Amino acid sequence: MSAKIMASRRKDIIYSVIAVLLLLIMLFPLYWIFVTSLKLEKEIFRNPPTFWPTQLNLKSYMVQLEIGDFNMFRSFGNSLIISGGAMIISIILAVPASYGVARFNFKGKKPIVLGFLITQMLPVSVLLTPLFIIFKNMNLYNTFWSTIIADSTIGIPFSILILKNYFASIPKELEEAAYIDGLNRFTAFIRMLIPIAKQGVVVCGVFSFLYAWGDLAYGMTFIIDQRRRPITAGIFNFLGQYGTKWSYLSAFAVVTIIPVALIFIFMQKYIISGMTSGAVKG
Amino acid sequence: MTKIRKGFFRYDNVGMLFVLPAFIYMISFVGYPIIYNFILSLQNVTVKNLRTGQHEFVTFKNYIDLFTHDDVLVRSIVNTLVFTVACLIFQFLIGFALALFFNREFWLSRPVRGLMMIPWMIPITISGLIFKFMFSNDVGIINFFLKTLGIVKDNIEWLTNPKTAMPAVIMTNIWIGIPFNMILLAAGLTTIPSELYESASIDGASKVQRLFRITLPLLRPTIESVLILGFIYTFKVYDLVYVMTTGGPVNATQLLSTYSYKLSFDMFKYSQGAAVANILFIVLFLVSLLYLRFIDTEIET
Amino acid sequence: MKNYRWLIAVLVLATMLIGLFTGCGAKEEQTPVTESPEVSTQAPTGSDKSEGGSDLPSGNVTIWYYWETEGHQKALNTLIQRFNDSQDRITVQAKYVPFADMKKQLSIGASAGELPDLVILDNPDHAAFAAMGIFADITDEFDVSTYYPGPINSCTLDGRLYGVPFGSNCLLLFYNVDMLEAAGQKVPTTWDELLEVAKALTTDKVYGFAHCALQNEEGTFNFLPYIWSTGATSYEINSEGGIKALNMMKKLVDSGVFPKEAINWTQGDTMHQFISGNLAMMINGTWQVPTMRETVPDLNWNVAPIPQDKQQASGLGGENYAVIAGGNEKAAIEFLKFATEKDNCLFMMQSMGYIAPNSTIAEGQFTGDPIYEAFVEEMNYAMARGPLPEWPDISDAISLAFNEVITGAATPEDAAAKAQATIDEILGK
Repeated sequence: MSAKIMASRRKDIIYSVIAVLLLLIMLFPLYWIFVTSLKLEKEIFRNPPTFWPTQLNLKSYMVQLEIGDFNMFRSFGNSLIISGGAMIISIILAVPASYGVARFNFKGKKPIVLGFLITQMLPVSVLLTPLFIIFKNMNLYNTFWSTIIADSTIGIPFSILILKNYFASIPKELEEAAYIDGLNRFTAFIRMLIPIAKQGVVVCGVFSFLYAWGDLAYGMTFIIDQRRRPITAGIFNFLGQYGTKWSYLSAFAVVTIIPVALIFIFMQKYIISGMTSGAVKG
Repeated sequence: MTKIRKGFFRYDNVGMLFVLPAFIYMISFVGYPIIYNFILSLQNVTVKNLRTGQHEFVTFKNYIDLFTHDDVLVRSIVNTLVFTVACLIFQFLIGFALALFFNREFWLSRPVRGLMMIPWMIPITISGLIFKFMFSNDVGIINFFLKTLGIVKDNIEWLTNPKTAMPAVIMTNIWIGIPFNMILLAAGLTTIPSELYESASIDGASKVQRLFRITLPLLRPTIESVLILGFIYTFKVYDLVYVMTTGGPVNATQLLSTYSYKLSFDMFKYSQGAAVANILFIVLFLVSLLYLRFIDTEIET
Repeated sequence: MKNYRWLIAVLVLATMLIGLFTGCGAKEEQTPVTESPEVSTQAPTGSDKSEGGSDLPSGNVTIWYYWETEGHQKALNTLIQRFNDSQDRITVQAKYVPFADMKKQLSIGASAGELPDLVILDNPDHAAFAAMGIFADITDEFDVSTYYPGPINSCTLDGRLYGVPFGSNCLLLFYNVDMLEAAGQKVPTTWDELLEVAKALTTDKVYGFAHCALQNEEGTFNFLPYIWSTGATSYEINSEGGIKALNMMKKLVDSGVFPKEAINWTQGDTMHQFISGNLAMMINGTWQVPTMRETVPDLNWNVAPIPQDKQQASGLGGENYAVIAGGNEKAAIEFLKFATEKDNCLFMMQSMGYIAPNSTIAEGQFTGDPIYEAFVEEMNYAMARGPLPEWPDISDAISLAFNEVITGAATPEDAAAKAQATIDEILGK
């Protein structure tokens, strides 16, 4: 018995070491940009490169706070509103739709699935003008709504295609039991199936959020007011302003990444445990 | 498993009520652009007549011009295919391997897997910037590593050489895409009942056999979704290339998406830009039809 | 296959549905320009010309501009503040649109009929937007007889004036005096000397010479002086001169004095490389001077004419004001008249490091400042790009040609022939 425990503990350590090594490789670019942001411009261009700044330089960060017109905190808040809005719309529309696609063989299901796929097929560049015209006519130009709606059109089809697999993997017996308990299709869907597919819903929510979070083109085009623009638009300002002044650019990158990383680290317990606990299995 | 009685599904069309809201929403906002774009691509809208309304219908002249005028369109198509296929293969293989690895229960499996997601969360513009910096010729850390490890002698001119620019951009996109593949496949893996593996190992199936006989078949819907979505999103990648190379050097990384943008907004050839976008659209449309045939067989089984 | 018929039905239905709330948008493509005033009154800034029954212009004026430098933004806001304080009928406000986004935003705005009242835009793009019909004809509003011809040309289309020059700049050779002295070199004046001096200045850490070589308008701007210097025009790249210019580019790159990475450098990047000491000489423009003086006051640098082949040549840069047709035109014109007055113009020029486009103002603008005087002198040799509505297209062909040469993708001869074919087609030869 104890030999078995020893073996499993050794396995634990070996796997963990491999995992950490993989993580280091994967996250090296982030470490590198972080270290660069702490260096003086001169040291950045030193050859061979230094892996930790010989002289700590925080000036690049101070500059971010001093920039007048573009307020990082406000634009961060804007990004939260836009991404949150897009996430909510995506979930509200995509969860029932994916259930419908997964569970029913109604007439015209295939064309509808094709329709969802088709909506994803135009590149951003040609969507901009027609969407702009739509939003202008709806009086949504220069409001958060324009960007929220545009971003949600990325999240919805994605969520449907992912969630449909979750619903498909839920044993039909569960549903059957629900009907015997006197629930109809809609109440069964809300009371039983959504809680079971919770992990899938969370994953879709996170992805919809992140698609909106990373969007640059929509936020830049549909919102002209600097005060309402998302944080990604700030990157464009900084690119124009500093060119390849890497000390400033890297500091800006770090400041943009940190909040995202925090949100995720905060949320990840929920996501990962949902995924690995495998509620469906039981 | 007991088969569900047919009676329950007599009213299958109820399912439509679940689907319609999302469908109408999507068609409302994206249907018009698709039609708008299609009409635009058959006209001759340029700077001179954008606002006058004299938009002549030229049928397929824009498409023919694009193909015959110079080789940029053909290059963009080839580039887009190379980019998409290379990204998909590597993202999927690495993502799948990582999903299998982290699906094992060990001490650090959960926290590390969570952190592995970070590359995917960063706005693409930022990732592009980071890699543009790492791929610099003289001070780039990637050249430094390659030289230190003795793999190359001289600096590789990653983003300034037409031959290496594409691999550099592909590597960056793979880095971004690995977590996407990993988390979706990992989530798919959890839906496979562990009893299946247990009974298989009792039957003496090897690990490889279990992978091919249990994991892959049961994971098929997830794999299909991951690949088709990966294909659609990779095929129209735009921001990354725009930030790293803007399609250069000398169109070496010009993709259909960047070329369409350039024609529309840098050169004011609106109709040609729309035509390029439509070519992209048609390719994706064909791929989707293929995907639907998979779904078809899925329903039958 | 029956199912797809169903899909088409849904698509048609949806299109009709969209038609309900985008109806006017779809129609707008076909709307003649004369109707556009109605459209733009929907702008959030909502200008109402007939307000109060008086004939004096009033309402709001929105300006789009793309200067990312903080000093430039402050200067513009100060000017606007002065104007707003000077009267109480018109309120002007400025909105920043990033340079990389400006053309796109104007294009989309033109399609959708949602534009500001005034824009400040890069002069080579002026002709294209004027041809689009989004700029008001202001020929009868301004007397531009004392303006330099180059800037005025860039605002003119078919003999009519569609804008007023904001300010001008041109290109010169910037050199690091200390590096030149340390290497015992003189300032180069010819192409041969440039190559020689650049070689002497190149070390394992420093490149001898560079300029922005992006494959876009910015790169073309920096490359064209080579062609002009040989006596050829922008439209004659497959000429003896054009090929010679491309060959010079090739020599610079092949000899290792000119970094290939410059194909990814903006003019701002090039300037940063120069002030960080990674670059001994560069071609750059007037507007960099204030930033350089402020960030590296101790750096010992100077300017000289761009080394030449047959004749001295430089690129004319700068921005123009343009009034949007159908916007709050009268109020915008009133602001423009205010902004082009001597004192206000001088204030903007001085704070931004630009040269006044009006010769009566430019004279004596920089007396006692040798660097700026060199730029004013160079204005006499500065040539304009275009003006031509299809200039973006021509520019693309030229920038592709020198990028092919720099990266070694094509020989100067092949690159020139290919570019010429494109240019001839555009010009309808």
